[in-house]
Amino acid sequence: MLVLETGADPSMEGPVPAVEFVEITKRFGSTMALDTVSIKGWAGSVHAITGENGAGKSTLMNLLAGVHQPDAGCISINGTPLKLENPKAARIAGISTIFQELTLLPNLTVAENMFLGREPLKTAVVDRVKMRELAEEALARLGSQISVDAFCGDLSVGEQQMVEIAKGITADAQIFILDEPTAALNTPEVEKLAELISRMKSEGKLIFYISHRLDEIFRFCDEVSVLKDGKYVATSRVSEIDRDQLVSLMVGRELGELFPVRSTSRDQAKALLNISAIAISDNTPEVSFSLSRGEILGLGGLEGQGQRSIIRSIAGIEAFSKGEIRKTSRETDIAVPITPTIVEVAKAGIGFVPEDRKTEGLYLTLSIAKNMALGMLRELSVWRRARVRSDHIETLLHKMRVVAASANQEVGALSGGNQQKIMIGRWLASNVDVLLIEEPTRGVDVGAKVEIYNLLREFADAGGAVLITSSELTELLGLCDRILVVRGGALVAEFEGTEATEEEILHAALSSTAENYNKKEEVA
Amino acid sequence: MSLSLSQKKGLSLPKPRDLARYIFSLPFAYVGTVLLLLFAYYTRPALLSPLLLLLIIRQAAPLGIVVLGQSLCMRVLSLDLSIGGVIVAVSYILTSGVLPFSEPVLVLICVGFGLMIGSINALLITRLRASSVIVTLAMAMILSGIVISLSQYHAPSDAPEILRYIGQKRIGVFPIALFVWLAVLIPSVIFLRISVFGRYVDAIGANPNAAWTSGIPYIWVVTIVHIMSSLFAVFSGLLLVGFVGVGSIDIGQDLALNSLAAVILGGVTFGSGKGGVIGPTVAAFMLTFSFNLLTSLGLGEPGKLMIQGGIIAVAAIVYATRQAK
Amino acid sequence: MSSIGLLHSPGRSGLSLVALGLPVLLFVIISLISPSFLSVQNLSNVNAQITALLIIALGQMIVAISGGIDLSVGSVLSLTSTLLVSVDPTLSIPTVLLVGVCVGLVNGVGVAIFTVHPLVMTLASMTFLQGLALLILPVPGGSIPGFLEALVDFSFLGLPAAFYWCLTFVLLAAFLLRATKFGMRLFAVGANAQNAARNGVNVTFYKILSYVLCSTSAVMAGMYLSARVASADATMGASFALESVTAVALGGVQLAGGVGSVPGVIAGTITLGLMTNGMNLIGVSPFVRASATGVLLLIAISLQPRKAIGA
Repeated sequence: MLVLETGADPSMEGPVPAVEFVEITKRFGSTMALDTVSIKGWAGSVHAITGENGAGKSTLMNLLAGVHQPDAGCISINGTPLKLENPKAARIAGISTIFQELTLLPNLTVAENMFLGREPLKTAVVDRVKMRELAEEALARLGSQISVDAFCGDLSVGEQQMVEIAKGITADAQIFILDEPTAALNTPEVEKLAELISRMKSEGKLIFYISHRLDEIFRFCDEVSVLKDGKYVATSRVSEIDRDQLVSLMVGRELGELFPVRSTSRDQAKALLNISAIAISDNTPEVSFSLSRGEILGLGGLEGQGQRSIIRSIAGIEAFSKGEIRKTSRETDIAVPITPTIVEVAKAGIGFVPEDRKTEGLYLTLSIAKNMALGMLRELSVWRRARVRSDHIETLLHKMRVVAASANQEVGALSGGNQQKIMIGRWLASNVDVLLIEEPTRGVDVGAKVEIYNLLREFADAGGAVLITSSELTELLGLCDRILVVRGGALVAEFEGTEATEEEILHAALSSTAENYNKKEEVA
Repeated sequence: MSLSLSQKKGLSLPKPRDLARYIFSLPFAYVGTVLLLLFAYYTRPALLSPLLLLLIIRQAAPLGIVVLGQSLCMRVLSLDLSIGGVIVAVSYILTSGVLPFSEPVLVLICVGFGLMIGSINALLITRLRASSVIVTLAMAMILSGIVISLSQYHAPSDAPEILRYIGQKRIGVFPIALFVWLAVLIPSVIFLRISVFGRYVDAIGANPNAAWTSGIPYIWVVTIVHIMSSLFAVFSGLLLVGFVGVGSIDIGQDLALNSLAAVILGGVTFGSGKGGVIGPTVAAFMLTFSFNLLTSLGLGEPGKLMIQGGIIAVAAIVYATRQAK
Repeated sequence: MSSIGLLHSPGRSGLSLVALGLPVLLFVIISLISPSFLSVQNLSNVNAQITALLIIALGQMIVAISGGIDLSVGSVLSLTSTLLVSVDPTLSIPTVLLVGVCVGLVNGVGVAIFTVHPLVMTLASMTFLQGLALLILPVPGGSIPGFLEALVDFSFLGLPAAFYWCLTFVLLAAFLLRATKFGMRLFAVGANAQNAARNGVNVTFYKILSYVLCSTSAVMAGMYLSARVASADATMGASFALESVTAVALGGVQLAGGVGSVPGVIAGTITLGLMTNGMNLIGVSPFVRASATGVLLLIAISLQPRKAIGA
């Protein structure tokens, strides 16, 4: 059995930890994001914080970065409890954060972005010469060729991430938070980052490395702390734990228990949805694939590689410049082209579930019943009477195991998992037969995850088809019948869900030599 | 939960506090109307005579009608400030004598004109995604500019007979204008309550992004809302012209701002998906009553403007803070 | 380059061929149609008409870059005018400046702290201040302090005072935007307030400050215009709210925030001013001119597609 340490390792500690989280609790509405979490981080080490999506990693780091404040517990820096009221206070306390979401401003140049909020001044005037010099220096340390005068809005996602990192390291800080820093980086860039991290470590800095990529944890980090559903699970030295042990700490159960059994009802011959040669713009690759009745298809790959654009152009939210989407009509069994506007797509029986529940998905101030009812109205003209069968809604809520006081409760008061169910349930109530779902279980606890997976599988078994994007490999491997890997906007590989492995998918997602999927299709 | 709390703290405290909280959660207009009536009771009791109250209601009817459109606009996160321009144009069409048609045809032309302006507003707002405030303000500017410069050549004449009848006569003690108001109000309330359209309006107000991604016919709904708002402005203009009796170039100029104030007072806010028709309707009465009260207290136009502005600001701030909780 | 490319140049200036070319084109057209346009007398008239608008438009630009809008500028101008003839001459300047700052604070606090929609907030203060101005000075008239009149009526190196007023405010605005950290942070706040905050920018402070600067610019414009006209009028500024928004929008400032430049605002203001002056010379009724401003405003904002539908 492995030894779990919560204490320190004598070889690299000072008497007090550089950062200590003491019984931190944080709630968002009714969601318990962090539940009495205590973790120590030591100077001169790289400390991985890991766990599944929604485990509370980012929330914990947002507290340290001053973005949110804990409801209970405190954070000590070098033994002194501090109140980090805003990002500026955190910066003054010597904490530099490289956020997972890019926080660059598109209308500022690279140099301006790197020094926003701490501009070098010459009397009252911003010292642009010095600012550019410092920015160039930082980018050079990362081996980056990005011009410091470029506007960040013109950079690619990978370049923006490099700028984020460069910005973080220019800060005169002792504690660094790197939140999924490699999400959009290519292999040489990751190498540079690795070099940089080891240099920072040798300078006596503490680095919190947030990731759920096992390779990187084992490669970069000294210690790893695992969170699950907002609770602290364990801390261990990386050298004293192996991959399987870490995964079982993260997931807390076998994969088999998580996912429903794949069905045999998938009918490869019957394409429900046919995407032929769509391209977002004239200089992006064409994408073609089909979705069969009874199938759950996953779009995987590194974040920001174009999965979102693909699913959104099918949903009619992003325009595409060429290509066609055909859907087999339920009544006539004939494939007809769909006008790619959201309203027409929905009319054709395709439902879209966005990743961001709060801003794009739900009507938080409306009741559960009203949220669900909006799905049922889909086929009616606006002038018609809104006939809503409340018994139908009740049945569906019961079936989805939504936990709520009543159907009249505001959706905003529900937990993440229940909100996600409502979002999917809205489409189930409206009789669609294709679901397009971005990150089906982001920010959802494990229990609700299982229920959502079952729900989707049931939907597919009943003759529907589901297309998901997911950044969680376990989800792709466990849930999907087929997995398409996206890189640079193109489909680069296809795997059967039962046969694929994490390594194969990652390889396809990263490698620059993977053969073009569409070309392979043509040959075959 | 509040019940269990109150039992712990004893019997005397909780009731007034809960009551206060309940009152605080109501639209401003309800409390405001009661307070105003009380104030009038002590200072100007004459205003509360049934005859005067009915007169005030008649005066409030044009505002009450445009408020229906304005509240719809605000519920779909838009605004319509072109109301004044539409009303001036209606007045010109009806009374300038330029158009050689019979009265019913003129009224029909007005309705068609409303349809057109509403459609243009909607087109600019939904297709070009221009800010509704700017679009409708510019529209008001264009319409009143054209009407005023055209009016230099035609002295306005009397309003059509039928409109004067509707605007000025009464059935029994009740002014006909009140019935017109109710005839527009009641179907609107019912339609919004039971129709798919009403549900969509709520949805867009609650979360426009979600409404968009879930395939609600967003553009169509916003278009209908703006057309309805212009049509309500036309009806209001017909009533006003009849009420005043002659055409005028500054008729209904304060209706756009007043309707905005009334809608905010009536509990409709940007981005909550809440608020109905009754609150703004009560607010329309409240505003008209308060202007009469101010006049009787000797405050003129400046005082009126200041109170209007103050009300909009305070109500908007209070609602914004309430929503933040 | 596609036509879209011409309309939306990269970066944050919002400058485009349309924005910069329009005033030149108008200049040529008007001087062809109306020969009297190029006379010295008329050109200095144009300058005087444009000065007040330019000062306000620069303030409006600052608010617009921060992602807001200020409709109360016209009423602030009117109020300034009425105050100048109503208070003791020695106290007049401090009084109007104080009023400007207070109005900006109220607008800014309402928008930034209470999260009221800027259009609603400034529409409310516009109405309130218009009432206040009418209360202070029901009928136009009064006399402006002598030193103010001197400040707008001199001529130096052959150039009229209006030129120096314009120059001062243009340089001031350009300095603020380009050289100071205020400028950089203002662009950041307008582009994405949340991300600006994560970078340690005090978003609330900068939003409020932008409204204060805007109101102050309206006070300045009010001082200039009142002194030029040499009397006060409580409705003097009524048209400025929409005209300043039009000028700013014509100059490529994105009303959604984060994009704008001083040269653009100058170009937009000149376009609007030339159009008004041109119509004046041809003898078009002032009411039609108001309509034309409305049309121009519609065109200008139609050139700036946004993501959101609504207010």
